[in-house]
Amino acid sequence: MIRRIALIVRREFLATVTSKGFILGVLMMPLLLLMVVLLAPRIMDAHGPEVRGTVAVIDADGRVLPELRVTLHPDEIAARRMEDARRQAAIRREIAERTGRLDQIEPKEPKIKPSPVLTIVERPANTDLDTAKAALIGTNGEPEHLALVVIHDDVTVRRDTEHEYGTYDLYVSKSLSGDTESVLQESLQQALVAARLKRSDLIPSEIEAKTRVQRPNAILVTASGERETQRWLTAALPFIAGLLLFMGVIAGGQTLMTSTVEEKSSRVVEVLLAAAAPLELMWGKLIAQLGVGLLIVGVYVGSGVLSLVQFSMFGLLDPTLIGYLVVFYLLAYLVYGALMLAIGAAVNQIADAQSLLGPVMILLLIPYALTPMIGQAPNAPLSVVASFIPPINLFAMLARVASDAPPPAWQVGVTMLIGVGTALLTVWFAAKVFRIGLLMHGKPPNVRTLIRWVRMA
Amino acid sequence: MEAALELKGLNKSFGATRAIEDLDLVIPYGATYGLIGPSGAGKTTAIRMIMSILFPDSGTLRVLDRGSALEAKDRIGYLPEERGVYRKMRVDAFLLYMGRLKGGTRAAVEARAKALLTRLGLADALKKKCEDLSKGMLQRVQFVAAIINEPELLILDEPFSGLDPVSVRLLKELIAEEQQRGATIIFSTHVMSHAEELCQQIVMIHKGRKVLDAPMAGLRRQYDARTICFEPLDRTADLMSLKELPGIERVRLTDEGCDIALAPDTDPAAAMRAVVAAIAPARIELARVRLEDVFVRLVSGDGASSESQHALRKALRGSDVEGEIA
Repeated sequence: MIRRIALIVRREFLATVTSKGFILGVLMMPLLLLMVVLLAPRIMDAHGPEVRGTVAVIDADGRVLPELRVTLHPDEIAARRMEDARRQAAIRREIAERTGRLDQIEPKEPKIKPSPVLTIVERPANTDLDTAKAALIGTNGEPEHLALVVIHDDVTVRRDTEHEYGTYDLYVSKSLSGDTESVLQESLQQALVAARLKRSDLIPSEIEAKTRVQRPNAILVTASGERETQRWLTAALPFIAGLLLFMGVIAGGQTLMTSTVEEKSSRVVEVLLAAAAPLELMWGKLIAQLGVGLLIVGVYVGSGVLSLVQFSMFGLLDPTLIGYLVVFYLLAYLVYGALMLAIGAAVNQIADAQSLLGPVMILLLIPYALTPMIGQAPNAPLSVVASFIPPINLFAMLARVASDAPPPAWQVGVTMLIGVGTALLTVWFAAKVFRIGLLMHGKPPNVRTLIRWVRMA
Repeated sequence: MEAALELKGLNKSFGATRAIEDLDLVIPYGATYGLIGPSGAGKTTAIRMIMSILFPDSGTLRVLDRGSALEAKDRIGYLPEERGVYRKMRVDAFLLYMGRLKGGTRAAVEARAKALLTRLGLADALKKKCEDLSKGMLQRVQFVAAIINEPELLILDEPFSGLDPVSVRLLKELIAEEQQRGATIIFSTHVMSHAEELCQQIVMIHKGRKVLDAPMAGLRRQYDARTICFEPLDRTADLMSLKELPGIERVRLTDEGCDIALAPDTDPAAAMRAVVAAIAPARIELARVRLEDVFVRLVSGDGASSESQHALRKALRGSDVEGEIA
């Protein structure tokens, strides 16, 4: 019996994972995401071609231009970029230190992109705006300037106390890249602030020091010790865990249903039943698609873990959560997979399956949709009750264990026991329907007919 | 000899329809049994119960000395009436899968698959996908799948339906080889001529009940023909005058001569002598017993109207025109 089940598992698994649809539809997406995660920092770090050009500036106020000459200088831009990079590296280092991943600490100075070399061309305040703009189009499609900055005459002084400070207008040529525009805007902003502070006799560094307050991560104090919370991650984890559970169950269950319908409609099922018992066939199919689902979940979890490692944040993930995910996936898959297998055996073509599939999909979508809310309020009465009502209990409990306020261990145990009971019941039901339905052709059955089959078998 | 198959009081109903009623059947090892009857008689249901694909409502069965086919699946070959393959699978992979499910080793299954396909003129198909084969080729592949494990019990449900004459001949040769190897064969068909040719024992099923279980040779003796096929030496002879002879019931003209139906209790030898004495023969013979005639006589009785007999014959030939062609 085991030998035959193993043979069926092997065939079903390989037939699914080697199909073009599976490779393209299921595996390519996480692989592409993984590639983006791994390559994006390298692409962003890569040195692009050096940007050189001129920026025309009309300074109606007259105090901004000297400051802009400083803030737009390539050395100053490089200094700002270096400061940013160091700040980000410090955050990563801090996380790596706190999560014990010392090997992730970057030892060397961060790399920065070369600064654009932007030369300022001063234009008098009375310059005709249209003529100045024409220089951005240029002759023969080659613009004379990359950008035109028109600084208003009220940028450093307010007309009255009720009005804001004035600003500037920025006109750009099509040759100006988004990245260089961003540098220009940043330099302008700093130049404007510096000019305003100077006019008010204030010292910029003093103001910055006085207004900066570092926001620490909250420290969660528990009986097992103290650990730093990462609210963004704990908020996202219940949703991510629910999504993975949903995806795994849908992928495995859907393939179970369609492959059974195909075997039935192509009449190969009777040939198979001559070589294997219905139960062997059913378990072979269930286990094979369980493997397929685990592969999918594994690929997504693996991509997630690699991404966390890439950003030196792996230590923030509690490994027992992956264990819970696997256990809850197994139980949820058996419940929903068995139901979808029974539907596949009961109908003759996919179109007939829709009426039976509807209730199952609702039972699958409701708990999935609830997971973010349960994750936000893991110990609310509704969340606790939901973790004991099959079949939504598995989704609800996974969302709770993934939250930052996990439930007591006994509740997890009870949910698992209910999950095992539900899985046994649905597999028993599916086995009955499978045995009768496989050789039934003709009018597709309704739920009442399925119950009659279960009594017959 | 012990029985390869033993059915006792088997019953099976689908809702209000009784598909099989009190079916008893004993098939000894090495025998070839023909299971015949019109479409819908219950042949396939009986076979599915033998294969433990369906389970009887009551009654017992033993297959190859086991309580059910589930315990002896590796020793049984089965070609179902409704045939199917994995269309995207390659022929060699399909046969390997079926062979290994039945307990064969990879090497043995691969060697036998190659040898059998070569015999059936399908050596080139080994690496092709099933969906790339014609219907006839697929049927031959499915037959190979049924005998890939050298089964002790081979069950063939309408094996020739849809096949061209050349394929029918090739398959008959392979069935004969399986007989010689010692396999017990159950052969279900509604094409009586195939059963006459291949089977030692005939089991007739009608409306779920067994109406006959007898050796083919005995049937020929028991259901003696009461028709003389006559071809005159002189093509202009008045054949209708034969109707006046004693014991002759009816004369029906044919292209070559005529068929002479004998009255009940007429000695065929005496009638033949009388016919030869009246008109010089080019050929005279007793028509061989036909299973179809036996079936009709068993089910409808001698006194049945010609309309009801005609309807029964039509049902026996079934809607499966391909089967008739084969």
